[in-house]
Amino acid sequence: MKLLLGVALGASFGAVLQLSGASSHTKITNALRLKDLTIMKLILSAIGVGLIGVHLLDALGLANMKVKDLYLPGLLVAGLIFGVGFAVTGYCPGTALAAAAEGKPDAWVTILGGLLGALVFAFMFPDLETYLLSFGQYGPVTIHESFGIQGFLLAVPLGGLCLWLAAKLPKGGAVR
Amino acid sequence: MVNSERRNAIVMTAALAIPWWAGGLGIGLVLILAVALVQPIGVSTQYVVLDGVLLHEMFPGVASQSPYLVSAAGGWTLATYEFFFVAGIPIGAFLASLATKRFTTRLVPREWAHRFGSMPGRRLVWSFIGGFILLFGARFGGGCTSGHMISGVSQLAVSSLIFSGALFVSAIVTARWLYGDWGKR
Repeated sequence: MKLLLGVALGASFGAVLQLSGASSHTKITNALRLKDLTIMKLILSAIGVGLIGVHLLDALGLANMKVKDLYLPGLLVAGLIFGVGFAVTGYCPGTALAAAAEGKPDAWVTILGGLLGALVFAFMFPDLETYLLSFGQYGPVTIHESFGIQGFLLAVPLGGLCLWLAAKLPKGGAVR
Repeated sequence: MVNSERRNAIVMTAALAIPWWAGGLGIGLVLILAVALVQPIGVSTQYVVLDGVLLHEMFPGVASQSPYLVSAAGGWTLATYEFFFVAGIPIGAFLASLATKRFTTRLVPREWAHRFGSMPGRRLVWSFIGGFILLFGARFGGGCTSGHMISGVSQLAVSSLIFSGALFVSAIVTARWLYGDWGKR
């Protein structure tokens, strides 16, 4: 039952990614070049809906939250590395799967490279952990808990702000 | 309209079949359902799980030597909710591309061809290298665009905000450098 639910949710996610252009190399590349901000509008609106929905669920006690640990400087370095891969391939780990399924051979190869990258990381992990992960570990910190307030008090206005920004951002982009 | 402009316009619209707000709403709803029923969405861990299960099939001793593989894929099975969620992504994308007649086996993307030429070998080599960097970074950060940016930021996680910020700065700088946008007026 859980497996079936997994496939159903995953397939809906994959279908939306495909239909909205998130798996398109052209769309992603032009978003990162700041020439076409459609993908930025897409991400902002997804986060806006997510912020409001997830925190309203949480306020009702219906959410299964799972917050990732904060560790520095590892997380910052990780984001910088990820961004380079994102720009070079034009895909992220999820949209590569969607793009591969719509027939793009470069996305297949991105996945193969990804499998190797993940494997190499798995075997390097004990060493990396000593050097980069362990000098500032703060656990699963959230903004609202650090302020000691209910999540939705912050998430609803922030979500609204994301949706407003998504609507206001020009499609064409600021830079030509 | 000039011919090439018209062709560009067609390519631009072909990239998406639904407007951005419908896509955002769709992704947001998938996240909300997932959080209500199971847990937030995530993709990149399953690359490690697939690695672990395949390696364990071939060299069980080597796989069990990596504490990281054991903790991510210790059951050595793909029959989990998490893996099935990720396996669902290509299924949904495949059906969506068929339904909207946007299935295509193009190898070299348009922007790439403009900048680096249409040699398939070059695109494939860089796709492999880029994919390697992408997943190395994702595992380092403990998540990717789905787990950190969509799920994490929606939960107001500080780790996810930092990762997403660093990711975008790096991706924008890299893309603009790669495609020669700096210094061009």
